Amino acid sequence: MPFVKQQKNKAYFKRYQVKYRRRREGKTDYYARKRLVVQAKNKYNSPKYRLVVRFTNKDVICQIIYAKLQGDFVLSAAYAHELPRYGVKGGLTNWASAYATGLLLSRRTLAKLGLADKYEGFAEPDGTVQLIEAAEDAPRPFKAFLDVGLARTSTGARVFGAMKGASDGGIFVPHNGNRFPGFDLETKTNDDELLRNYIYGVHVAEYMEYLEEEDEERYKKQFATFIKNGITSDKVEDMYTEAHEAIRADPSAKLAEKKGKPAKPYRRLIALNKKQKLAKINDAKAIFEASR
Amino acid sequence: MPHSFGLRARTRHMFSRKFREHGSIPLSTYLKTYKVGDIVDIKANAAVQKGMPHKFYHGRTGVIYNVTKSAVGVLVHKNVGNRYLEKRVNVRVEHIKHSKCRQEFLDRVVTNAQKKKEAKAAGVSFNLKRIPAQPREARHISTKFNVPQTIAPIAYETLL
Repeated sequence: MPFVKQQKNKAYFKRYQVKYRRRREGKTDYYARKRLVVQAKNKYNSPKYRLVVRFTNKDVICQIIYAKLQGDFVLSAAYAHELPRYGVKGGLTNWASAYATGLLLSRRTLAKLGLADKYEGFAEPDGTVQLIEAAEDAPRPFKAFLDVGLARTSTGARVFGAMKGASDGGIFVPHNGNRFPGFDLETKTNDDELLRNYIYGVHVAEYMEYLEEEDEERYKKQFATFIKNGITSDKVEDMYTEAHEAIRADPSAKLAEKKGKPAKPYRRLIALNKKQKLAKINDAKAIFEASR
Repeated sequence: MPHSFGLRARTRHMFSRKFREHGSIPLSTYLKTYKVGDIVDIKANAAVQKGMPHKFYHGRTGVIYNVTKSAVGVLVHKNVGNRYLEKRVNVRVEHIKHSKCRQEFLDRVVTNAQKKKEAKAAGVSFNLKRIPAQPREARHISTKFNVPQTIAPIAYETLL
């Protein structure tokens, strides 16, 4: 191999400027964050709320967050793993569940702020793109801006499902319909029927039907939790409809009990700080002196 | 060769970012709130080219008289000839920070009020004025292991 100068030598490391920690972790897009979080100076201390939607492999996290100098504060949060409480038994990360999580978050927030009666939102979503409007004789609607994080904003993405849920729940989230499933790029129109179906999980139900006929094995593997809970393809839509009603009836959060951590079989070695090291040395000295 | 007077002339070092502090700036600069009447320091941040102050105002301190969406208006006194002119500088918030001189005063107001209250309760007389650093008091110095050395100039000698 020909001699190549070592690129990452001492000089390189001395001059290297690290990116921000959250950028190194690959979690925050600072370009977007600056534009989302910063409030106009002539609005002084009024908070700028953002609707944060994040997807993990098995969960959907929706939060309303505002930024302060000390850090970001979460006003309210909703998780897809709370949906079984409202009757959603499986498919917790699909489009319909994202919608339900967004809906749960907005109802919870409005209840917390005392705006739940003034802003009911749209209880029977029909797939049209409607934004919350200011009610008369009431404070203006709670406004939050969608924060997708690092998610790819392709048409039909689940982040927009959560946003639609929050919007239909009564929070004013400024948006237009061009990223909902069923948006036709050529004619620039939304397919309301399709969107309504997505909200109620009809697309999942159809796939379930298709797989049942085509390939029993794959069907059992794919929809194992649905089958276990006795949900067939014709029950999916009702499951979500009832869940929406249950969410609107009682959106309050139930805090889980804190479980004590089980004792580990080993003692983890923690690095001592200077004070502790000195104390240790003084103790050893005292013991030595006493034994002399 | 003509002399150039461009807006950023002679700012090679003044406007350069510090070592390993290049790139996007921390969001805490944007999260601070400024009100009319606040005393602020102007310090240009070359990472943001919009709303930069002219190099003259880099390092000046002034009072905010106007707050807009992403900038503030600052009153700075500039010495022109034999007088001070009140200049109005419109600067984006990235180039501004709260001046600690004001904070020091406000802290002192609080501590003085506290001291006054305590002194009045105790019936003791008090002096709240700041006194400048005074000459050192007289003190005894031991000459044990510390014999004073007498230093005298040596007799003059031409060393040619």
